[in-house]
Amino acid sequence: MEKENNDKLKIGIYELTGCAGDALLILDCEKELVDIFNAADIQSFLMAKSDNIDEELDIALVEGSVSTEREKEELLDIRKRAKTVVAIGICSCFGGIQAAFLDQKEWEKNFKKIYGDTKMTHTKPVQSKPIDAYIKVDYYLPGCPIEKEQFLSTFNRILRGNPPELYRFPVCVECKWNENDCLLNKDIPCLGPITRAGCGSICINHNLPCVGCWGLVEEANLTSEFQLLQEKGFDYDFIKKKMANFSGTGIADFLGNLKGDKK
Amino acid sequence: MRVIKLNKENLFPFLEVISEKADLWAPVKKGDKHVFKVVDDFSKVELSTTRTILPPRKIFLPPTFSMFNISEKGYEEDFSHVTKKILFGIHPCDIHGLLTLDNFFKQDYLDPYYLEARKNTLILGLSCWPDEYCFAKSTNTHIIEEGFDLFFTDLKDFFLVWIGSSQGDDLIRLKPEFFDENLTDTDIQTYIRWQTERDKAYKWGINFNALPDLIELKYRDSLWEKLGDACLACGSCTNVCPTCNCYNIMDKQFLGGKDGKMIRYWDACTLEEYSEIAGGENFRKKRADRLKLWYTHKLQAYISKYGKPSCVGCGRCIVTCPVDINVRTVGKALLGEKEDAFWLRFNKEVTK
Repeated sequence: MEKENNDKLKIGIYELTGCAGDALLILDCEKELVDIFNAADIQSFLMAKSDNIDEELDIALVEGSVSTEREKEELLDIRKRAKTVVAIGICSCFGGIQAAFLDQKEWEKNFKKIYGDTKMTHTKPVQSKPIDAYIKVDYYLPGCPIEKEQFLSTFNRILRGNPPELYRFPVCVECKWNENDCLLNKDIPCLGPITRAGCGSICINHNLPCVGCWGLVEEANLTSEFQLLQEKGFDYDFIKKKMANFSGTGIADFLGNLKGDKK
Repeated sequence: MRVIKLNKENLFPFLEVISEKADLWAPVKKGDKHVFKVVDDFSKVELSTTRTILPPRKIFLPPTFSMFNISEKGYEEDFSHVTKKILFGIHPCDIHGLLTLDNFFKQDYLDPYYLEARKNTLILGLSCWPDEYCFAKSTNTHIIEEGFDLFFTDLKDFFLVWIGSSQGDDLIRLKPEFFDENLTDTDIQTYIRWQTERDKAYKWGINFNALPDLIELKYRDSLWEKLGDACLACGSCTNVCPTCNCYNIMDKQFLGGKDGKMIRYWDACTLEEYSEIAGGENFRKKRADRLKLWYTHKLQAYISKYGKPSCVGCGRCIVTCPVDINVRTVGKALLGEKEDAFWLRFNKEVTK
């Protein structure tokens, strides 16, 4: 029997700066959509519906990073309204591609280089950061985009008041489960060892090296990965760029403190 | 043990006959490497392989599988991974690996998920020729006397087939006309020559007898810190090891509300989460401690209980670890022998 809406937890799904891939993935759970809407009272979900109500929430799922003043205010407001905030996707969790230069303290200079003297009238842009730069985040669900099974299982657990149960090891573990031949051993620059699992090692299954799009695994040994790639003949700037690509806050300190940086 | 002869051209027809009522798993090519896979096209079966990427334990306990289905009525055990199987092409070292796993899964608490799968799988071993990474002669696992239903020794034009069990004998009886009971002196001479040459093909070894003491003596050696500094904690050494057996479990609840599954998946003591307990305390937070545990287990603790290492010399850790942390380099470092390895060159202070 269908539950009445007032028995259900109130959920809001929000998108800040990002490709909207995580919200799209939720919408793409076609077989489970009825279950999702039946299990929870989805109050706000811009990509799915127009009658959005932005009031008190039990759980807010937030995608994307904060890159404008307005988004910052929106995020602070979400935090105020929601009992539990879950960061979904790499941009929300760690900053994503738009936070690739977090290690450089030259955001304004870079901004000027790209946008020149264009006047920003809509809202004031700020350096792109993950949402935990501004608010307390209760749970993180990384991914680029998030993975369907993991999302459904996490969503279900959070609805029942349980924390998410996610793989905490690197991509290499799933990669071995899929019985791939290690790309690093073939001198291909793969970031599997420093990147958290959950994607099912999908790139390496197709013979492409891991680009790190799920963010750093908790115990990432960055120094070893860096030196290993150097020893395989990749140059310093190449490795630095490759590592910086997705991991934002996770890697900014490491890259900012690297010795021998000429620039 | 009875030994009979099989002409080479009869192998695939024989496999075809015996696999009518079971899945035949055999080594096939994947890229430049090999993997065990269910085959129906026998021309894909590779006879002269070295190691597969994953050891054959994946056939008994897949990397992830469901243990229970949970519903409102309770739970129901899920044995869907247990099917009738024939595993062909498994080498002596890997059969030793299975015998080691038997010891684990039969001690104290019987593991039905492993034992049921084991009961339903026939083992058809195949001889092999070592490459530069094999060291099974050091672990005395290059020869096998038990643990198989049939064992095929490849002597170029024919196989000598050892019949190791009554179930193996039943397979032969399905097509007795393929086999020749009468071995000639020349056949036997060919076998002896092959064995001598094969033993000579192991180009290097490790003195495993010395390692238990050395691990004790070097328990506080800076070697472990050095290993821990370079280790990527990727879990690959454990995943590819034929004798590793640890696992974790995870609940999968379905959205509808009341049903779900319990998933079991391969865990690794070299991963950080492995030694973490409720409340977040971790007994082996440092990679150095985890590596020390792995090597102590393989090269010392198991020896004191079973009289042999739980390393079978397959060489998988050697070809897999990107930073060269493996039984060869660690064993040699413990023995004070010179080795070349990334972890020895690694400098944790300087990256430029």
